[in-house]
Amino acid sequence: MERNPMRRQLQTLRKSLFDQGYLDDQFVQLEELQDDANPNFVEEVVTLYYRDSGRIILNIEQALERKPFDFNKLDAYMHQFKGSSSSIGAKKVKAESTLFREYCRSRNGEGCMRTFQQLKKEYATLRRKLEAYFQLARQAGPVETACRPK
Amino acid sequence: MAPAFPSGDDRADFGTGGHRQFSFHDIVLRNRLTALVVDGVDFCRLVEQGFLRSCGLETQGVNNGDAAVELIASGAKFDLIIIDMFLPVMDGLETTRRIRALGERCKIVGVSAYIGENDREAFLAAGGDVFSEKPVSPEVLIPILRELDGQYSNI
Repeated sequence: MERNPMRRQLQTLRKSLFDQGYLDDQFVQLEELQDDANPNFVEEVVTLYYRDSGRIILNIEQALERKPFDFNKLDAYMHQFKGSSSSIGAKKVKAESTLFREYCRSRNGEGCMRTFQQLKKEYATLRRKLEAYFQLARQAGPVETACRPK
Repeated sequence: MAPAFPSGDDRADFGTGGHRQFSFHDIVLRNRLTALVVDGVDFCRLVEQGFLRSCGLETQGVNNGDAAVELIASGAKFDLIIIDMFLPVMDGLETTRRIRALGERCKIVGVSAYIGENDREAFLAAGGDVFSEKPVSPEVLIPILRELDGQYSNI
């Protein structure tokens, strides 16, 4: 099977994740930690991120169902969420986290709710894109088996 | 087997249009350096320790301030401690104060998802050395490691 077109597709997909603002340089730093000893490091880290941050998302959802809002608690949850999201280079998610915190600080409940909805969209979109990316990377196969030029 | 991720050259053009000054592979240590990472989030600790190891450091990680203080109190020595300000139970500021109260003089870097001017001042007043946004970048860490390694920094 011709692997070069698939690797080109992988490169294009990867570049789009940065060009469209989904990822920042932190993701590149994670990729540089990946080697033969840790061949799936990035995917493992991203998987752990979605497992860990999923709990925080749930906590925030539950906190937003309780009135009046406990803005200090919401701020604390988002602090943790932003730290995690920054650690994988989730650029758009990080931006929404910052906005959410500003609304917490100004005690703007509507702003918090609106921003949280947008944050969840970005979070889910990034997950889909990264899952597609990792799936394509697996299909593209290891570097050593890329087609050699004739 | 190496992963099918794009090569280093491809990574150089990661599409943001920006130019990176440093990579964690840009440093070669001449001495054995050790670091402690204090972060309550498992995968964040994994990432932070991974970066430090790629720079050549030996690392340990704990997930809360009490464990960090106990480790230092037991006599463990580190050249560098990275502390997340947002820790369960005892926060990063108090952890820093207690580590300094034990007489530990190593370099302490505080990291936080949000940086406010008051946060930086509070951390420095607690005895910390460098306060950085989380995750700590090569631009922040490499000069610190070079200083610890006794190398001249040409940046």
